[in-house]
Amino acid sequence: MPRVTIDGFEMDVAPGTTILQACLQRGHEIPHYCYHDGLSIAGNCRMCLVDVEKQPKLVIGCYTPVAEGMVVHTENDKVKNARSAMMEFFLINHPLDCPICDQAGECRLQDYAVTHGTGKSRYTEPKLALAKAVDIGPHVTLDQERCIQCSRCIRFCDEVTKTGELGFFDRGERSQIGIFPGRSLDNAYSGNVVDLCPVGALTLKEFRFQTRVWYLRNTSTICAGCARGCNVVVGVGQQPTLMTTSGQLDDRIKRIVPRVNADVNDWWICDEGRLSYLREQGATRLVPAMPYDAAVAKAGAILAAAARAGTLGAILSPRLVCEDVFAWKTALEAFGGGPMRVHPLRRGEDDGLLIRADKGANSTGAGWILGQSFGATAPFKARTLLVVGDTLDPADTFVPEPGSAAEIVYVGPFVTPASRAAAVSIPSASWSEADGTFVSFEGRAQRVRRCHLPLGQDARPGWRIALDVLHAAKLDAPAWTSADDVLAAIAAKVPELEGVTPAAMGLLGVPARGTVGA
Amino acid sequence: MPAERILTRNVGRPDSTTLAAYEANGGYQALRKAVGSMTPDGLTEEVKKSGLRGRGGAGFPTGLKWSFMPKEVDPKRPHYFLINADESEPGTFKDRLLMEQDPHLVLEGTLLGAYAIRASVAYIYIRGEFVHGAAVLERAIAEATAKRYAGKNVLGGGWSCELVVHRGAGAYICGEETALMSSLEGDRGYPRLKPPFPAASGVWKCPTTINNVETVANIPFIVERGAAWFSSVGKPPKNTGPKLYCLSGHVKRPGVYEAPLGLPMRELIEELGGGMLHTDRPLKAVIPGGSSVPVLRADECDLDLDFDSLMAKGTMLGSAGIMVMDSSVCMVAAMARIAHFYHHESCGQCTPCREGCGWLERILNRIETGLGLPSDLDLLLSVSDNIMGNTICALGDAAAMPTISFVKKFEEEFRHHIEHKTCLTGTLAMQGVR
Repeated sequence: MPRVTIDGFEMDVAPGTTILQACLQRGHEIPHYCYHDGLSIAGNCRMCLVDVEKQPKLVIGCYTPVAEGMVVHTENDKVKNARSAMMEFFLINHPLDCPICDQAGECRLQDYAVTHGTGKSRYTEPKLALAKAVDIGPHVTLDQERCIQCSRCIRFCDEVTKTGELGFFDRGERSQIGIFPGRSLDNAYSGNVVDLCPVGALTLKEFRFQTRVWYLRNTSTICAGCARGCNVVVGVGQQPTLMTTSGQLDDRIKRIVPRVNADVNDWWICDEGRLSYLREQGATRLVPAMPYDAAVAKAGAILAAAARAGTLGAILSPRLVCEDVFAWKTALEAFGGGPMRVHPLRRGEDDGLLIRADKGANSTGAGWILGQSFGATAPFKARTLLVVGDTLDPADTFVPEPGSAAEIVYVGPFVTPASRAAAVSIPSASWSEADGTFVSFEGRAQRVRRCHLPLGQDARPGWRIALDVLHAAKLDAPAWTSADDVLAAIAAKVPELEGVTPAAMGLLGVPARGTVGA
Repeated sequence: MPAERILTRNVGRPDSTTLAAYEANGGYQALRKAVGSMTPDGLTEEVKKSGLRGRGGAGFPTGLKWSFMPKEVDPKRPHYFLINADESEPGTFKDRLLMEQDPHLVLEGTLLGAYAIRASVAYIYIRGEFVHGAAVLERAIAEATAKRYAGKNVLGGGWSCELVVHRGAGAYICGEETALMSSLEGDRGYPRLKPPFPAASGVWKCPTTINNVETVANIPFIVERGAAWFSSVGKPPKNTGPKLYCLSGHVKRPGVYEAPLGLPMRELIEELGGGMLHTDRPLKAVIPGGSSVPVLRADECDLDLDFDSLMAKGTMLGSAGIMVMDSSVCMVAAMARIAHFYHHESCGQCTPCREGCGWLERILNRIETGLGLPSDLDLLLSVSDNIMGNTICALGDAAAMPTISFVKKFEEEFRHHIEHKTCLTGTLAMQGVR
């Protein structure tokens, strides 16, 4: 291992490590634009220039590997002068339209202008006028004036999606990022270029002008779009909706962005997951038909009667968190038992990158909890069905066949064919409205977090509704007061999930004991 | 007494582009000798001993460059020999002359270089505007291939080498060797990060050597007459061999002149070039190596035109494009025009050059048109300094170096423009709007 000295700090680093990576290993970030862990090295922004002793010129930290005995300075005057020079170059033709730019607040040009710039420009000539608000795809808008030509977006489309929609056009200071003629940036991962863009050149149409990023309350959670379990950050609007009101907050999801997890999704998410909140926000929420206490009492009575008659069965969505599945299983057993089945969702296709054919975000966890019931194909004989659902696609929604079930008890966030046919329906919290646990197709247990108040009227976490139904039926109910309590019970009862705790999962999840293929 | 013409011995002869004429003058004997009796390493050693330095601009020892190539050819990674014929440096027109007038000399040199580095294909990347030169080369390749000088089993020696002419599409940057490779591969002509250097990973990630046209035109003579002869020409030990000088500007007879390396500049201007164009306009400045090298004032021009003499004066022989400027030249206008070129030709890949070259031109245009500010001279120097050494390739330096030298050496003229809104040369500054 080469021993190098960086800013007076001696360290041993693996051969082939670049100066920039070596600095990151000790928690020091050399400013950079074009470098990205997930992409090839372009070396074009020149922001990471550092001083290596015995080298006549500054070298770029992102490309230069460490060598035995190398002495690097990343903060001396020579380096600082180069950085402020680069910042001046970046800004001479940049429109400085921060007041109307969505990137403001999380813009590396802003950040580095503050930390490495001089605070003023010596450029007095007119700036170049280039195209603004160029429509390059269904989700992405390009502002060529703001672009600093770091080429991250081009490299993403070339190297990750391998779709190659973007390229450089023209030359010199007139060179621009653009879309090839006849193409559209419409690959399944196009939104990632917006996250990659260090400035405001690429913006997401669905997020443009929706809010200022500093009004977002960000929550680390797990995407519910498929069985991959991509790690995401959900940004919820916290801007007072009107300045003249008494401070009501616009408590809705404004965007979903990927969260780096090398074991799951690297740096990316698909567009479908990124925009999944729009479908949820556009869906019709279930409105309580009667007061909550009356609803759970009625549900309890129906379920108890059916259990006594031996006609009770349950169908659960594979998008439910483990806690809900386990609570309903516990409840059904308390009533006297009956067959339980995970409702199969319409399958998509594995795309070899992130998207999985199985759209059930928790198919694996639900299967583990329900044990042998999972995947049962024997026709249900049940005449009374408990349907617990969290799906939106009509094709994925349980549709009761006429005459197949006399009564339906429905618990779910949205209005579905099952809820319409139900004798009693109880609104529940949706994916982003309650805490819980998903198990990915690889058997990784990951924490789903409540991001905002439920949008549905009187919508509660599913496991809590299960408890309340038990209470209403005067049956013994576990003394759970939080999703974590339910998880503790799961960890004690379900062998595959033994040892899974919030602490063990942390932000990045943990491979469960039942890990597929382990 | 003019020196013996070596590189240009066929220039101006009737039918000089034909194989018959070339052969009649001893052509392809060097190739025959090398393929018949020299090993690739022996040839490389001979070129090393000759002291030949690259004629493209940097003056890197050619034999040493060749010796960086792997000694064995991995069948999965063939060796490539590239000829940089993208001659685009303002003030430079020597390679064009060789290609148009003596294509077989260029081809013989190319084949010898390819043999030395064990290449089976040699690409001649020719500037797109050289339509005629490309056609001449194509014809010459067809002739040479038909006579087994190129193609399969060269001269029956078992070694094969295909020659391919590839035309550029009009970008100065493609003369930068790694940009040339990107362009040859069909990508944007972007220079690459170095290392790896071409000998380790060049075109198509294979071991590659790239030489200038004039450089390889020297090889046949080294093979024929020996390294000892070559190293006795010019100013041994470090500046050896014949050299083509491109003389342009305010001289009576501009053109390409051949002389041994180390030709005194006064001799080039006064004797070969016939002296200054107008007797009443004295010499003011000379750009000695193409527009990207620092300028020399008239009082600095008593020197020899070779790599090291010019280096000692803080400038470079570069591509030996000697541009002579007399007293009528406005140095602000001249520099603004040079800056315009680099602004126009910057590829835009890296930040300092992309943003800086345009900025330099705009400041210079402002000074030229009487809108300059007293702070602009410091600004020019500072912007140049911020470009210098911070870019991926040398184009940024090529814009910065002349700017620094013009401003420093002709500061008075720049100041006059700023303070008086007119030009010391008497030409009206305001007319120079580009």
